[in-house]
Parts: sequence; C-alpha cells; structure tokens
Amino acid sequence: MTTTTTSPRRSDSPPAPGAYPAPRYRRVLGQGREVLLHWAVIILLAVLVLAPVVPTLYQSLLDRPLYEAGGVLSLDNYAKLFTEAGFGKVMLNTVLFAGLTTVLTLAIAVPMAVVVVRTKIPGGRILAAAMQWPFFISSLILGFGWITMYGPAGFVSVQVRQVLGVVPWNLYSIPGMALTEAVALAPIAYTFCAGALRQSDASLESAAQVCGAGPLRILFQVILPMLRPPIVYSSILVISMSVETLSVPLLYGQPANIQVFSTFLYRNGLQSINPDYGILGAASALILLVTISLVAVQAKLLKDAQRFVSVRGKATRPRKLDLGWLKWISLIAIVFYVVMGAFIPIAGLIFRSFTLVFSPLQSPLKTLSAANYDRIFSYAAYIQSIKNSLIVAAVGAVLVSVVALLAVMMARRSNFRYRRAAEYLALAPQAMPGIIVGIGLFWAFAYAPFGIGTFIQGSLWALIIGFGLRALPSGFGSLAPSVMQIGQELDNAARVSGADWIKTFTMILAKLLTPAFAGALVLTFVTMLKEYSPAVFLGSADTNIIGTTMLELWVQGNTGSVAALASIQIAITAAFVGLAGLFLKGHNKDA
Amino acid sequence: MPDVKVSNLHKMFGDNVVLDNVDFTIKDGEFFTLLGPSGCGKSTTLNCIAGLEQPTSGAIAVGDTAFVDTDKKLFVPPEGRNLGMVFQSYALWPHKTIAANLAMPLQIRKVDKAQQRHLIDEALDKVGLLHLRERYPHQLSGGQQQRVALARALVYSPNVLLLDEPLSNLDAKLREQARAWLKRLQTDLGITTVYVTHDQDEALALSDRIAVMSHGHMIQVGTPTEIYETPATADVAAFVGRCNFLEATVTDTSPSGIAVKLAANGQQMAVETPEKVSVGDQVTVAVRPEKLNVLPADDVAMPGTNVISAEVLTTSYLGSRFEYDLKVGDHVVQVVNDRGGLAGPVNLSVDPDACLVYTQADVLSEDAQALLTVSH
Repeated sequence: MTTTTTSPRRSDSPPAPGAYPAPRYRRVLGQGREVLLHWAVIILLAVLVLAPVVPTLYQSLLDRPLYEAGGVLSLDNYAKLFTEAGFGKVMLNTVLFAGLTTVLTLAIAVPMAVVVVRTKIPGGRILAAAMQWPFFISSLILGFGWITMYGPAGFVSVQVRQVLGVVPWNLYSIPGMALTEAVALAPIAYTFCAGALRQSDASLESAAQVCGAGPLRILFQVILPMLRPPIVYSSILVISMSVETLSVPLLYGQPANIQVFSTFLYRNGLQSINPDYGILGAASALILLVTISLVAVQAKLLKDAQRFVSVRGKATRPRKLDLGWLKWISLIAIVFYVVMGAFIPIAGLIFRSFTLVFSPLQSPLKTLSAANYDRIFSYAAYIQSIKNSLIVAAVGAVLVSVVALLAVMMARRSNFRYRRAAEYLALAPQAMPGIIVGIGLFWAFAYAPFGIGTFIQGSLWALIIGFGLRALPSGFGSLAPSVMQIGQELDNAARVSGADWIKTFTMILAKLLTPAFAGALVLTFVTMLKEYSPAVFLGSADTNIIGTTMLELWVQGNTGSVAALASIQIAITAAFVGLAGLFLKGHNKDA
Repeated sequence: MPDVKVSNLHKMFGDNVVLDNVDFTIKDGEFFTLLGPSGCGKSTTLNCIAGLEQPTSGAIAVGDTAFVDTDKKLFVPPEGRNLGMVFQSYALWPHKTIAANLAMPLQIRKVDKAQQRHLIDEALDKVGLLHLRERYPHQLSGGQQQRVALARALVYSPNVLLLDEPLSNLDAKLREQARAWLKRLQTDLGITTVYVTHDQDEALALSDRIAVMSHGHMIQVGTPTEIYETPATADVAAFVGRCNFLEATVTDTSPSGIAVKLAANGQQMAVETPEKVSVGDQVTVAVRPEKLNVLPADDVAMPGTNVISAEVLTTSYLGSRFEYDLKVGDHVVQVVNDRGGLAGPVNLSVDPDACLVYTQADVLSEDAQALLTVSH
C-alpha cells in the first residue's frame, strides 16, 4: 500500500467528458428491449401452469367429456363424487395415510437431525451424506425394493416366517404404506431441520452450558424449541407430498384395495373402461385445492421463518454435545434406518435383477443369470423406453433449466412489473400432483388450437412438457439462491457502465452463473429421469419410459425385469451424477 | 462539464416516504457530499441520479439532458446516462482481470482495440495500479480494489462521478490516506462528483459542499465550515461533529442576546443567538466540546464568558488532547481540552457566541440520553 500516497498522475490529454457516450439500445414502447423477453417468459409460464389447471376446473363443472359438444355447466360432478363414487372412504384413507406418514417422517427425521448436527457421533459426516440417497432413487423403485424384501412374499418376510412362524407385519396396509413413504420423505424433513440447526447460533447452547445445564436439558429446552419452524414447515411439505404421491399407494394399495386420492384418479381415469371425466375432473379439482392451500401455507410460513434466521455469514462453529452412552444407541438407530429403509431394499432389488428366483428357500446364487437384462434388451419396446427416458430427461433438463434461469433472473433481478408473478408461476407446479398434471395436460392438448394438440399428444413432447412442468420448481429453487448470492452491485456496476439488462446478463452474469446452471441441469435431469406419474396419462405405446414400463411389467408379474429396469435407472442416475461431479469439480456445486 | 440538477425528488416504498422533496443543484466540477445516518435517503438519492432506482416523482437533469422527469414520464435507464459510479463493495466483476474489468464499458461503447488499451493503461496509471492490470480482483488488497473500481468508473470519461461510501470498507489508517488521495485526484480531473457517506470527517475533509440528510429530508446544504459552525438544526449539530445539548428556559431577552436558566443545575447563562425567542420558552443550548473550557474551581474566568460549575467524572487521555466527562447538575457534559490533570470541582467557561440555541430539539436517542444522565 505504498502507492496510496503518491499523487495521481496527470494524463497528457484527458478526453472530454462524454467523448465516449453510452450506446443507444433499441427501445420498445419507451421500455428497454428486455421487456419483450420478460413478457415472453411470463406468458410462457402462465400458459404452462394454467394449461393443466384450467381444463381440469372446467371439466369438473361439465356434464360430459370436455371434447364433446353441448356440455352444460353444473355442480353435479361434485355431488356425484361424494354420493356415489365412494370418495368418502378415499378421503379417509388419504387423511390417515398422510397423517401417519407425517408423524413417522418427523419421528425419523427430527431426532436424526439433532443427533447428527448437534452431538458428537461417530461417522456423522457419512450419515449426513447418506441422507442424500432419495436424490438417486425414485419412490417407485423404493416401493419395488420394499415389496421385494418386506412384502408378503418378500425375501426378509419369508425368512422371518421361517423363524417365527408368522410375519408380524403387513406391508399392504395403510401403516405399511405410510412407513415406506416416511422412509422416502424423511431426508427432506431432515434437510430442513439440519439446516435450521446449522444456522442457529451455537452460543445459545454455550450459554445454557455455562448456566449449568446438562446435555439432555440443553437438547430439550434449547435445541428442540428452535426446531419448531422447520418442523411445522416440513410437516406441511410432507403432507402435501403424501397426498400427491402415486407410487407407494399404487403398488401397495391395489392388491389390498386401499384407495387414496391419487390411486382413485389412476383407477377411474385409466383402468375403467368408460372413464367418467366429470368425476375425474371434480376429484382433481378438490385435490388441487388441498395441495395449493398446503403449499400456500408453507410458502407463508417459510417467508416468516426466514425472518427468524438472524445469524448470517458469521461462522460460529457449533460446539457439539456429548451424549455419552446414548450416542451409541442413536448411532444404531440411524444406521438401522439407512440400512433397513434404503440400503437393503435397493441392494435386494439390484440383486433380484441378477437372479431368476429370489427367495431364501433356495439360494438365489444358484439361479444367478443376466436373463432379466436379456429380456429387457431383446425387446425393442423396452430399449425404446430407456431411450425415451434419456431423451425426455436430457431435452427437458436443458429446457427447464433455461426457463427456470429466465424466471429467476426476471423475478429477482428485474424491475418488471409482474416479476413476483413469475416467481409464483414457476413455483406453482409444486402444488400440482403429477397425475393431475397428466390428466390436465391430456385435456389441454385435446383442446389446444391450431392442431398443436394432435402434434404433441402421444409424442415425447407431451412428456417433456409434463415432466418439465413438474421439475420447474426444483430448477427455480436451485438457481434462485445462486442468483441471490451474486451481489446486486455487480449488475448495477454493469448497468451504470452502459450495459442494458440483456447485455449485463450476457457479459457479466452468464459467466458467473455457469456453475449454478450446470447444477440445475444435473438436478432437473435426475428429477425428470425419475418422474413417471404424468406419463400415466400422457404416454402412448410409443412413448413409454422406464417408469411406465416398470409399472406394466409389474402388473404382468414380471418382477425380475422390473428389478433390472430399476437397476438400469439407478445406474444411469449414478453415472450421470458421477460424471457431472467430475466435470463440475472445483466449482464446489452439490446439486 | 455540466451541472447536476435534482428537483422535487420524492420516493416512496409502499407507504414509506424515503425521499421527501429533495432539491439541489451541483455545480460544474464540484465535490458534493450527501451526508447522513443510515436510512436517511442519501443512497436512494444517489441511486436515483444513477438510474438504479426510479423516483416516485421529481426531475433529474445533467446539463441540458433530462434523465428523469416524472411529469413527462421520462426515465433514462442507467446505461443511457454515461455516469461513472463506485460502489461500496467496489463491485469488481470477479471473473474478469483488472484490464478486462476496465475494458467492459469500452467494449460496450465500441471503442477500437488500440484506443481501449490506451485508455485502460491511462486510467490504471492514474490510480497507480498499471502493474496489476492482468491480476484478478480477489488477488488485490481492499485499497487496490477500491482504486480499480475508481479507474473503471473513470475510464470512459463519464459526465459525473458517483461514489457510494467507497472508503467505508477500508481500515481506519488506509481510509485517511485514500481520502487525501481521492481529493487530489478529483481536483486534478475536475470532474463533478457526488459522494455519499455517513462519515462526517470524510464529508468535512473532502467536500466543496455538503448536504445533510435525515429521514428523507435535506436539512442543510452548505460548505463544510457552514455546516460545522452554524448547523441549521440540532439534528445537524448532533450528526456533524460532537455536541453537548443542555435543556434551558429563557429568562431574559435583549437585542444582543438572551439569558437562559439551565435545567440541569439552575445556573444562568448568556447566549448570543439570532433565534427569536421570548421569556419562558424552552430551548436547547448546543455547545461543541472544543468550545468549552475547563478551569480549576479557583481560577478566574475571562470577563464576559459564562461560568458554570461542574465536577470532573472521568478524564481520558487521547495523546494530543484530554477529554473530560463533567457533571453539570444531573447532566454529563463532554469537553475537549489541552490541559490535563483536573479533578474534583471545576468551572466551565464558554463564550456567549460559541453557543447555538434551538427552540425545539429532540436530538438524542433515549439510550444516549440515559448514558448522559447521572444519578445524584
């Protein structure tokens, strides 16, 4: 810093001020050219989000299928839904399922978050990393895995029956469904609680310690009360996710004839020979109402919760509590969850894919073979479904990430009048169950002008749109924090220097956002590879994807091939994430 | 170089009035400072000039070019204003080298390559950082980053230079050096400069004129001397420099001055003031710590000065001077003096013309009030 004191040097001939005037940009109606782009994005978002919703609402009020002429508006469908269709039982089941799932999820996630983040536990890091597993594995595959191991004829169940004479559990029941779903959703609740615990100020605990409180007292009187916001928030999230989920209720509920919202739609829309579109629409509308209000409450809570996050930036290293002998019990409990909940079912499923007979009664090693894979790869239709999944995920990931980036830029970095609306629209699909997106888009395509519908319907584009819509909130959610991390002053500096909104993006922000964009690509690719529920309605014989093919094979009782396809999907995900990780190394971006 | 004219600027965020009728003109080549505590609206004013924020109503023009005129629905976006701006965080683009940072505005202006190189080198030379042109921002110290930011704001010869607390991220020693350097650079370039700061020392040292802002209002505009010596309101006196405030009641008025009775200890005091007051009015007498003189209790004060009896509470030795906290009645008065070693009962002397009188003032926060009150 020696030069600070030197005199500024005079230049020979300073150019006059204004010698290099700022360039002129094209203006549209007195506004910058970016306004055109903003309008384009918001219209696209609005069309995408409303496309499945509006026809659904309309259909729910119509006395005949949407595409038939002469429909009359009435509330009959709703009346019929509650009187004839057995919907009351469905609602009861859904409430029981969602409630039990939420309780079980919290019972797993909250203690685990406290133990892993706030106490000294051996292998805490590895355990935290293990909670990432649902990122790779869809709940459909988890369901297959659980049935393979713990189902009535499952590997573990049979083993237990040999020892005890009976199987003390029944997977094909509401508690069984809820337990599986809770295992799948626990990592989400864990993430929220762990995040809150990491952010909270460690000195609160130190203060309690100084006052003479023991570890358990600190746990119950200081740490748990701090968790109230994330617990409330993640409960709502878990409720709305268990209301919309199709996989587990479909796999477990069908044989036992337990119907919840999503399987009700599945059965009435797909399996009945003469589907009653009116009832389908009314039920969808009701579910939408439930999920939208849940997401709205959750958004409100999150907004309020952020106000409580006062500790930022300052790195206070949490002093971890020592639980003594309790830590070994906690460790065993967590390992039990990871191993029994995720590892054994998935490993079992993969193992299953390499054998012909999978039962403890006969060593599966005797029938070790690649026959399940041979079958997959010898039928063009199955190969096609893998290809389709990859195409949908790849094309979709790029499109969704671009749309999400534009939406984030607009919502967080522009003066556009409707920028808040852009954010709400981009996040709205959170509240739209996959199966309703499928039904709604199916109707929307039937209705679309200029023959767009016939072009899209039954093509891969239909799936890309449906899956993309579902993946949009994740894309938005992963990009928004990265954009917020880039100081607004960097934009401002570029603007004052003479760049307009678009040039500021291309010259400054695009480069800075590249790692985040790559992260969003990975995330949306994996999300869309796992997705299948909208395809139940939107797919055709030519556009089967891994998920729908697995369901088909499952119904045929072809569990070996299901296991093989599931293993292939897991392998693709793992390979892709691994490659992306290598590629993005140095950017320190965990998708 | 053109004048900057800001007229009747209003800015609302929802129901919240951030700027209320802000109106000033900055003369060509002037170093103009917006001074005020955080939240007073100074940065909003600067951002309105830069075009980063839109005023709710009002007009801004530089020379003959109107930037904003809400009556005519005119708003020139920041990229159309050709201003240079240095941000509090410097806002250097982290993925570009220093030279590339400076090149960006020139590329946008389609300046040819050779000329670009020339201008960049010239600007970096001006701030004494030519040797660092290929470095990246994170490889520079804070002081260097601040100068690069300045070079980037100057490289395209903007019409006006806007500085948003550019020195606030530097450590104290460096800040003083950078302040002197900045002043010389501005004088050499003769560029019209608008400077935003909450640091009164910075404002007093750098500015040709200062505008003191509070709660969205512009309270006083004047030269540093005017602001310090004759603050228009108690707010300004409290904010610029330190000041003691004593509650008092007017007991007598005459053409040359007034007499007041201090609420703190009941003593009488003569004060010269242009302020129109009448007997019985409640007023606040403001005195700067360096205008007060401490004398041992048995010393005789100069004739014509007020003498107030006080008691030394604490003495702080600050190297070049002493700072006393004195007890006057139930009130703490701060005094800066060359003379050390005083203790116990003392006399305070103050010239009648060194005092300022404000008729209504509620200047001290309750916290500060509590700290300056002593129990008996």
